[in-house]
Amino acid sequence: MENNEKLSPFHTTILVFMIQSGVMALILPQLLAETFGTNGWITVFGFGIIATVNILLIAAVYKLGKGRSIFQILEQSIPRFMLIPIYLALAVVWTLLGCMAGKEYILIFQMYAFPTTNPMEFKLIMDLLVFWLLTKGLYNITKTSTIFFWLFIWMVLLAFFFYSDFNWARLTPFLFKGGKFTYLESLDIYSSFLGYEIVLLLFAYTNQKTKLIKATLIGNSVTTLTYCYLAFITFGVYSLGQLKNKAFPVLEMMAYIRFPFMERMENLLFGFILFTVLFSILMYEWCALEMLKHIFPKLKANFLAFMLMLMCFIVAYIPDTINDVGDWLSTLSMIECGIAFGLPLLLLIVLMFQSMGSRLAHE
Amino acid sequence: MTFSQVLRTMMIKDSGKNSGQEEQLPPEQDIRPPTLAHTLEEFQDCSDITHLTFPNHQTDLIYFDQMTDKDKLSRHILKPLLSGNDEEVAKMLQHLQPFRMTSSKSLILEILSGGVAVFNGQDAYAFNVYSPENRAISQSETETVITGPHDAFTEQVSTSLAMIRSRLKSSHLKVLRLSVGEITKTDVYLLYVKDIVNMRFVEEAKKRISEIEVDAMLDTNMLIQYMDDSKYSIFPQFLTSERPDAIVSKLVSGRVAGIVDGSPSAFTLPTSFFEFFSSSDDYYQRWILGSAIRLLRFIAFVITISFTAMYVSVTTFHYEMIPENLLLTLTESRSRVPFPPLYEALLMEITIELLREAGARLPTKIGQTIGIVGGIVIGQAAVQAGLTSNILIIAVASSAIASFVIPSYVMSASIRLIRFGLILLAGFLGNLGLVFGIAAIVIHLSGLTSMGSSYLNPVAPFEPKDWKDIFIRAPFKSLRERPTQSDSPNKVRNKTKE
Repeated sequence: MENNEKLSPFHTTILVFMIQSGVMALILPQLLAETFGTNGWITVFGFGIIATVNILLIAAVYKLGKGRSIFQILEQSIPRFMLIPIYLALAVVWTLLGCMAGKEYILIFQMYAFPTTNPMEFKLIMDLLVFWLLTKGLYNITKTSTIFFWLFIWMVLLAFFFYSDFNWARLTPFLFKGGKFTYLESLDIYSSFLGYEIVLLLFAYTNQKTKLIKATLIGNSVTTLTYCYLAFITFGVYSLGQLKNKAFPVLEMMAYIRFPFMERMENLLFGFILFTVLFSILMYEWCALEMLKHIFPKLKANFLAFMLMLMCFIVAYIPDTINDVGDWLSTLSMIECGIAFGLPLLLLIVLMFQSMGSRLAHE
Repeated sequence: MTFSQVLRTMMIKDSGKNSGQEEQLPPEQDIRPPTLAHTLEEFQDCSDITHLTFPNHQTDLIYFDQMTDKDKLSRHILKPLLSGNDEEVAKMLQHLQPFRMTSSKSLILEILSGGVAVFNGQDAYAFNVYSPENRAISQSETETVITGPHDAFTEQVSTSLAMIRSRLKSSHLKVLRLSVGEITKTDVYLLYVKDIVNMRFVEEAKKRISEIEVDAMLDTNMLIQYMDDSKYSIFPQFLTSERPDAIVSKLVSGRVAGIVDGSPSAFTLPTSFFEFFSSSDDYYQRWILGSAIRLLRFIAFVITISFTAMYVSVTTFHYEMIPENLLLTLTESRSRVPFPPLYEALLMEITIELLREAGARLPTKIGQTIGIVGGIVIGQAAVQAGLTSNILIIAVASSAIASFVIPSYVMSASIRLIRFGLILLAGFLGNLGLVFGIAAIVIHLSGLTSMGSSYLNPVAPFEPKDWKDIFIRAPFKSLRERPTQSDSPNKVRNKTKE
């Protein structure tokens, strides 16, 4: 009965937050320190604003397209044979992005807790979970995301543990000193905000009540604030020099949390990050699946999902080390940034032609 | 089907063509007029049937002696016939006029339901004198409460219905009678409060019950499995209770209840995962106590699914998580154990399950012996023999105790079984396995529905105003609306001024 229901604003907000947040949050403070230097955490707001602008671009598509799905918009003006390569390219980028995000998470976990285990064993189970979710449809995916959100968000409370170690002096009165700004690194930072562009594919699952754009904007704000809080605490706990040299400052910080009966919980807590990582992977794979459904309309969705996850699993064999995966992710994120801005722009152009065409027809 | 055909059906969408299934018609009603000969033929070889003939009055009686109220039968039927007074017999037959039967089938059904069939000439009547042997109303053994009413339903559906009616004195309480079981013809009653219930659920329940085509229906817990949304799920999708007060509270909150004749438990729908964690007791205590107990149950849920799995994960892969002082104790107790933690844990968990099952099947007195023997075996002896560590005993025992805190026996049993899956995952993949397991449970739960409404209501879909009667039990004055899940047309339930 409820499977055909449209998304609710709350679920959409949570979904956007869950897609955006991921493994990058653990590396973010180090990237900020390296790129911007002292008080680099402030720039998180700047990146948040860029993401907001991009969302507003998507809002324009949503409004001008009157809620039509991007497939309907594109297929009205562009012949199908020209669109199929675009769909395929998008599907490949999204599949790889999901795949690499998963592999990176697994490799970090392996590095911390299972140095001798084959990471592909973990990847297999992770891909099975993603496949299972893919077959459940978007409505159930959003329901799952809400539960996963609660299982994950409580960890924000752990930041209280660092209040005693937090030192205002470490923040220094200097702004952006000691960093080495590169565009490539800042793109890496921005990639931790990526994920909101997926709402482009959610148009068909929404109605007026969803308040899609407002929900997305709130989701993005929650991500920005969470990142900012996390970066702020990390900048206050570590000095700039330390921060620059730590690969996973947030994980290392977690290792300091102690209870009388348990300590060094970083691998358990890192496990809980799976809930949000799983969603980043899932939603990219879901987008790829949507594309594949339009390329092969005659094939069953579950079969396509199976093939997609099989490909994803096989491709994950290629990069071996965290650095390799990091390189793949950097390149893919760069392309994804292009898609996040380019796709809405393309759609806007198509929509403009369509409205011009209809105006001419009226005249 | 060849392999290529199988592959094709897996890959390619169904073109939507109907395979030409024929619509099944309901079985034809036997509309023949009732006759003595036909009725006797139907009950041929039923030695427990009683057939009395009164040739003077051209009257025959057919009934099952053991199902009838002797006093009622004698007063209303036998006495006038035995008196030999024609006037009295005529008077009796006049009294029977409203119970005249027109079809053979309905007459036979009446006899089967404890009626007496009276044949007089061409006419046939069925008079209900049903009075079976019945168990006295007693306390529920599976849902005991400390404060509040102690009576529980019995196997006799009329008694159970009377217990509900006496608590819910409203003509809006509607009771639908359906029949399930081609041979047993078991009565199933669906109850709802008109104007409070959403009729969508009533219609859906009616539809699902009428679609059941089975030879026998013996219990409520059997019926609800036929009505499940997801038949392969481990979780119960209907709440069952033996307590009339609990069922009445569900009815007034806009849910539909159902009782199967011959079963001491009733079910309600729709339900959610979180509903299984509340008990009637919560409402009979002060709200702070009620809330604390509810929270305790959720903590118990976490303990029961994670404690043993955590032990396995930590002792197999993540020794660094144990503080130094505790580590010494743990290593000492584990030093004599020759098995890996996974085997050790499975051994103990299976032993506990064996003890539980044996205790449940045995009479109380022998059950106590099992408890003592089991306690010694798994407690002291297992540790001294070096089969297991002390700390594991604590983990296993606390997760077993925690599982019994969950008020619903069915839910508690499901959760206990899931625990084994988590232990295995933790044994193979450590903390990550544990998290994978939790993720799998959540994914499965999110996909579940109860009569089409989300099983995780009110968390997903997000209905925060219902949380105050799910995770805590807020003061009555703040529980103003019926739960969102019942989607009641009449939302407000409490108009008491603050």
